[in-house]
Formats: sequence, structure tokens, C-alpha cells
Amino acid sequence: MNIETMWLVTILGAPLVAALLLCALGGRGARVAGWIAGVAAALSLAGALVLLPALQAGDAPALSFEWIPASNIRLALRLDWLALPFLVTEAAVTLLAVVYAWGYHHADENTAFFYALLMFFAIGMSGTTLADDVFLFYVFWELMLVASSVLIAVWGDGERRTAVALKYFIFTHLGSLMVLVGLIVLYDAAGSGSLSVLREGVALAPVLVTTVITLFIIGFCVKMAIFPLHLWLPDAHAVAPMPVTIMLAAAMLSMGTYGILRFPMSVFNLAQMTSFAVPMMVAGIVSELYGALIALVEQDIKRIIAYSSVSQMGYILFGLGTLTYNGVAGATLHVIFHAIVKALLFMCVGLVIRASGRRNIAELRGLGSAMPVAAICTAVGALAIAGTPPFCIFNSEWMIFSGGFNTAHIGLSILTVFGSLLTVAYALLFVGRIFFGAHPEGLAVKQLPWAMLAPTVLLAILALVGGLFPAPLFDWAMHELPLLLRGAW
Amino acid sequence: MPQACLVCGAFVVYLLGRLLKTHNEVLALFTALFFGVALGLLMPLFKLTQAGDLPVWGHLGPAGAFLRADPGALLVAGVALGLGLLVAIYSGRYLARDRRYETYYPLLLLLVVGLMGVVLAADLFNLYMFSELMSIAAYALVAFRRRLGTAIEAGFKYLVMGSVGAVTMLLGISLVYRVTGTLTLTRATGTPELWTRAGLACLLVGLGIKSAVVPLHTWVPDAHGRAPSTVSAMLSGIVIQSSFYALLKVGLALGLPAYDLGTLLIVLSLVQMTLGNGLALVQTYTKRLLAYSSIAHVGYFMLTVGIGLRYDVALAIQAGFFLLLAHAAMKGVAFLCKGVCHFYCQATRIVDLRGTAARLPLVAAAFTVAVAGLAGVPPLAGFASKWFVLTGALRSADAVGYIGLTVFLVNSLLSLGYYLPLIGTLFARVTPEGSKTLEPSIRVSPLMTLPLVVLGMLVLAIGLHPQPWLDITALAGDYLGAMGR
Repeated sequence: MNIETMWLVTILGAPLVAALLLCALGGRGARVAGWIAGVAAALSLAGALVLLPALQAGDAPALSFEWIPASNIRLALRLDWLALPFLVTEAAVTLLAVVYAWGYHHADENTAFFYALLMFFAIGMSGTTLADDVFLFYVFWELMLVASSVLIAVWGDGERRTAVALKYFIFTHLGSLMVLVGLIVLYDAAGSGSLSVLREGVALAPVLVTTVITLFIIGFCVKMAIFPLHLWLPDAHAVAPMPVTIMLAAAMLSMGTYGILRFPMSVFNLAQMTSFAVPMMVAGIVSELYGALIALVEQDIKRIIAYSSVSQMGYILFGLGTLTYNGVAGATLHVIFHAIVKALLFMCVGLVIRASGRRNIAELRGLGSAMPVAAICTAVGALAIAGTPPFCIFNSEWMIFSGGFNTAHIGLSILTVFGSLLTVAYALLFVGRIFFGAHPEGLAVKQLPWAMLAPTVLLAILALVGGLFPAPLFDWAMHELPLLLRGAW
Repeated sequence: MPQACLVCGAFVVYLLGRLLKTHNEVLALFTALFFGVALGLLMPLFKLTQAGDLPVWGHLGPAGAFLRADPGALLVAGVALGLGLLVAIYSGRYLARDRRYETYYPLLLLLVVGLMGVVLAADLFNLYMFSELMSIAAYALVAFRRRLGTAIEAGFKYLVMGSVGAVTMLLGISLVYRVTGTLTLTRATGTPELWTRAGLACLLVGLGIKSAVVPLHTWVPDAHGRAPSTVSAMLSGIVIQSSFYALLKVGLALGLPAYDLGTLLIVLSLVQMTLGNGLALVQTYTKRLLAYSSIAHVGYFMLTVGIGLRYDVALAIQAGFFLLLAHAAMKGVAFLCKGVCHFYCQATRIVDLRGTAARLPLVAAAFTVAVAGLAGVPPLAGFASKWFVLTGALRSADAVGYIGLTVFLVNSLLSLGYYLPLIGTLFARVTPEGSKTLEPSIRVSPLMTLPLVVLGMLVLAIGLHPQPWLDITALAGDYLGAMGR
């Protein structure tokens, strides 16, 4: 086992060890739980970053063990350029969410389990990106769902939390089942569960190809919360405790994108995917417009940002649907930048709710003078999500739109560009209504813990830095593209 | 001779209990010992069948053997013995508030003797005899708590339906014997004539009643719901499935083409799965919910084996046996956990399980593993079986199979609607007014925790490391597949 493999194991192993340790500590671990989880998340992120030079040297760190020989299923992990952006995003979001949770979460006898589940959630996501076998992929895919729904069911806000968790589980599981069928068809046709084998191409009857791609796209769109498959999202995001919401919105949604890139787009070729281009673009636009419109009229600040995710995932799906170099690269960049900005916005929402004790936007006004740091961070987040240069999302939207104009469907592309006006509207209204105007009487503002403020500020800075110096990230996306559609570009 | 060992065991345990007034725990351990020895005796037979040999016992003249070991039967028998072993240990504490142990343990042993006979029988006569032995033991066990009117009622309902099934079987056997002049269960050649077919139909109906095939399932929820949890675990985990295995074997042996049997099973399974899951959604009593879940799982088994037989996919039949194995473990844990909750907290309805996690943390954990496994959550046994079922089922070649597959997927989604709330209930915080139930965690007897932990670990182990179990189920699946060809 060389040093690369050890880091690869660390990415999953550190959170796993932390989770088991936390479970073993139980009630006794309440005070140290946050630190244990933080160290594990940091190690996980470090593992992903340390392996970057190896990838740049043309290596793909991997390990593989026999698991179910009779079915040719292996316990295999592999890090390649396609997985890297998602892995780094996920690990970074987890670390920040854990730090945020130090301030957000009140310690009680169940705190250790809360952090343990956060770790399992993180393992589910990083395992999904690293798995090199369809069986293992699905195991991690479901772990992600199980851990997050338990977090919602137990630590969610309000009386409806178990009902919301149940809805979330069943709705997303519907998508999972579609993915499962698709995976098994691929596995059965290739005679092996290995993704490396699947990337070589799979011989399937044409009708089966269409069915499988459809199943994959619909299944993964459930995870991405594309309209009309988004119904689980607003409730789940609104009810989940804030660190979980951050992980759901900033990291888990993009796992759907990873799935689309990993399965339909790398197994099948351009000709097979072409007939899905327009449906994907249209679904993307509809989702973009719908999410933005609902975000305009929604009253609960957490739900506003939740609907904004529906809208942003629409951009990503549109980018993927263009099936062009720029569009797909833009979609990947958008995953990273959206994670930064969405985590930032949810953290700001958390700050506002914690400080004021209110979450209805009609009852909030003029908080800017009382909490200037939060106001500036929210403004950065809102400007960024509206696609304003020089913030990061401007870059990825540029790429996505340019991908759109490279296709034959100029009308759709124009629609997307103008659709982004709605994003500007809800984003600016959001900032304006909460932070501007006269400070109403009776609205007390509480002191905020540094653990909640620090990651927020860091993300706001990242949103700017990512916009000013996007070159390294462009580089990641460029490396990923040859792996897709059998190197059609 | 594992069965002989069990029969001896039944007498010894009865005499011990009757003459020496031995304690419940001692009887339980003796029973477990006999189960263990029988399981040990069964192991060499696995080796023999792996080598392609089918050992037989008891040459009864020209009619041939009276028991024949085949891999599928050994698998079912092995599961029954293993489950029986754990159930016996568990009963050592569970029955502490009952009396007449000296009848319970022998009945449990005889139940398994009958069950093994049903699957191992080499001819219809023995099949019938053992089936009756198994059923009579089961009727008595269901009505074991004879002071409860409901238990008597459930036992009586089971008795009436089971007897109808038995009579139908007997009619079928006589019809078959009248035409063919033989009762041996070997693959018939050529198409069966009319009266054989009529006899076969009677046999299938009779065995169908015993294996809870919809619409002949109505005894199941009552019997499972009212029996002691230990008995429910046996009934639900393996007794039903053993009759079903006999049904498959009889159908194929009497010349029903595998294609037709497969089609029949697929079509029946559609109703079976949907009805089982649909009715489980509306239950208020935990055991009835689990009973309906068993009906649904029989449906999954039927679908998988049906697809395997119809399209001659060995993989699907193997997956069916894997499901059987996994289901026995999961349902065993579930019923035994329910038993602990009933024993210590008098929980019968689903809402009574609220706060189990606080009072009985280990039980709640095992219960969660079992129910999540039944729901097919990775990496538990239920998910591995779901994976294999889907892999097998996707090999089906036309619309019938695909319809079955779709209904299966819909059902596996539907079933989350009762499994997940059940888990949620276990972890729900108890409301303040139930101050009496707020007592801190209860110490559970090790006799009860041991079987739970073993079975719970098994559920995890089957899911994480399915290979050794696949080896066993592959043999069984291939045997049945070859029988159908």
C-alpha cells in the first residue's frame, strides 16, 4: 500500500473512524464531538487535496479488493478527474458545515450522534464519488440518503420533521430505484460492476440504451431537485438543522450532477445522448424559471434559498444538456461555485434566524445596522448568485450560456439568459427586505458565536477569490472533459 | 439423521419437563442443544450435495426412498434449525410468565421435524404426513397461550384453513396416485393427463394455503399476530417458505412445465406483493404489520423464482433462495425484538413501541437493523437480496417479466411507507403523560439478547459479505432450475 492509497483510504476512513468513535462515546462525548468531527472532516479534505499532484502527474489513485466474486463485484475505490471536483466540494462543505455546527448546535447528550451522522452523511457523499463499482456506488448513494433523513427526522425543526423526513426518503428513494435499475442493466451487460470497464462502452439494444439513459437522467434529476421532481427539497431544506441544510444544498444536490456525468455521459457516446439534449435543456430552463419565481413569492427565508437551489440546478442541467465542451465545463464549475455561494447564503440565513429568532421575511427589516458582517456576506452571496461579476458564479454562468449558444437551439439559450433576470430579482429583494429599511421596534438582535461567523466570512471571501482567479478550477474541469462521451471533444 | 435427533429431543425434553419439573431455562437449553446437534448432523449432507450426491434414507420396497436430500431442502432445513436454535434459547426467558413448558419445547422440535420432512420428502405420502405433523404442531403453538381467547381463535382459524388445505392435498394425492400409480417425486416425463393435472391443481391449492399464497393467506395475520413472538418468528421466517418450496418441487415433479409454473407464480405474485404491502400500511398492531410484510416477501420470492422458471434464469432462482435466507434472518430479529418489547413493556400496538430506544437501546438497534433490512437499505441483507433479485429479474425476456419487475419496484417503494415510520416510532420520544413508561433503560436477559445479537449480526454479515451465502443458494437454485428443465 503506497502513500497515495493511504490518503485515498483516509478520505473515507477518517470520517468513518470518527463516526464509530462518536457512537462509542455516546453521551460522554458531547463536548469533544464537534472537534473530533472537525478533525476528521479536515483530514478528509486534506486527503482529496494531497492527491491532486498525483492526478496532475497522470495517475489515478485506486485500490480494489475482492468482495462478491460470484457476481464479479469488487470493493474498489478510484479517484479520477471526474470525481475530483465533486469530492473536493463535498469535503470542503462538510468541514465548513461542521465548524458552523459548533456554534449552531446546542450540546446535549445526543450531540455525539449528531456529529456521527454528519460524518456518515459525508462518507456517503465522498464514497459515491470515489466508488469504482456500481454496487458500492449504490451502497454509498443510499448511505447518503439514510444518514441525512435520520438527521432531519431527529434534529429537524418543528413538529412535522418525521413526516418531512419520510417524504424526503420515499421521494428520493424513487429516484434511487430508477438509478438502481439502470446500474444493474449496465452491470449485467458488461458482466462487471467496475466503472472502468463500463467506460469502455457497453453493448446494449438501442431500446435498452434509451430506457437506461432515461432512467438515469430522471433518477439523478430527483436528487438534483429539477422541477417537477423537486417536491422533497423545500420541506427537507426548511426543516433540516442548518449544518445539514448546508450539506444538502451545497454538496448533496450536486451528487445528481455527478451521477449524470458518471453514468449516462461517460458510458454512452454522443450519438446516443443527442436525443436527450433538448429535453434536458428544457427541463433545466423550466426548473430555473420555476425556482426563481417561487423564490420571489416565498415568505420563509430558508425556503427562499431552498427554491433558489431548484433554480440553480436548472442552470446546471441546462449546461449538461447542451452536450458541448463549454456547457459541461460550465456545469462542473457551477457545481463548485454554487456550493460556495449556496453554503454562504444558508449560513447567512442561519445567522439571521439565530440573531433575530424570526424566519418570515415580512417580519424582518433593517437588520443591516445591527449585524453588518452578516449583511455584507449576504450581499456578496446575493450578488454572486445573481451572476454579477466579479463573483464566482459569473464565470460558470458565462461558460454555461456560451455552451448554450454553441448549440443549434439559440432560442432556448436566450431564454436561459433572460431567465437569470428573475434570479437577480429574488436575490436583491432578499437582501433588501432583510437588511435595508428602518430597524423595527421589538426586534432584538442576539450576539452570534464566532464559529458561525468565521465560515460565513471565509465563504464570502472565497466567492470573490473564485471569481477573480478561476483558472485552477477551469483546469480541473478541462481534465474531466476527455473522460466524457468517449472523448467526443 | 438430524430428524431422528430432534424426535428424540422432543421426548427427552417432554419427560424432563414432566417428570423432573425442570425449569424453563434448562428445558430451553436442552432444546437448543438438540437443535444444535441436528444442525451439526446436517452439515455433512451439505458437503455431499455440493459433490453432486443426493443422499436418501429409508428404502421402502420398490416405492423408493422416503426422504431425499436436495440442496434446496437442506438450505430450508438448515435455516429452520438455525432459527429454531436461537428461538429456543430466547424462549428460555420469554416464556418465564407462561406455564406448560414441557409441551412448548417438544412442539417446537416437532414443528421443525415436520418442516424438514416437508422439504426433504421423496414422495407425496411422506410429504403429506410431515406436512400434517408440522401443521398440527403449529396450530398448537399458535394457541399456546390458551387462556387468551384471541389465541384460541387464531389457532382455530389456522386449524380450519390448514385442514381444508390438508384435505385438498389428500384429494390431489389420491387423484395422482389413481392415474400414475406412484407417489415418488421425480421429474415426470411427457405431458400429464387430465386427472393428474386435476390432482396437481388440488395439491397446489393445498400447499398454497399453507404457504400463505393470496387469496389463501387470511390465516396468516391472525396466527402471526396472536401466537407467541417466538412462534411467529418460526412461522413467518421459515414455516411458510418450507411449504412453498414443497409446492415448487411438487409442481415440477408432477410434470407442470417450468414455463407455465413460472407464469403462474409471476401473475400470483403481483397480487401477493401489492396486497401484502398495501395492507401492511394500515395496520395498528406490530405483529400483524410484520405478518403482512411476510406475505409481501413471499410475493417477492414467488416473483423471483417465477421469473427464473419462466425464462430459465438460474440467477433469478438463486436470488430467490438468497431472499429466503435473508428474510428468515431479518424477520426472525423483527419478531424476537417485538417479543422483548412485549415481555418488558407490554407493547402490542405500533404506538406502544414509542420510546423503545430509550428503554431498550439494544433491542431498538436490532429492530432497526431488521426493519431497515426488510426495507432493503444497504448494506444490510435485504439490500443484497434486492440487488440479486433485480439482477435476476432483469434477465426476463418479455412483457410479463417486466411488468412483474415494475410492480416489484413500486412495492419496494410502497413498503417504505410502513417500515420507516416503524423505525421512527422506535426512536420517538415518549410524551410526558406516560410518566410510567419513562423509566430508564431495562436490563434485558442475556438469553434474549444473545439470539438478537447473533441474528442482527447475521443480517449485517449477509449484506456485507454475501459470498458464502451465495455459494449455498447457488446450489439450491441450480437444483431447482435443473428440475424445471
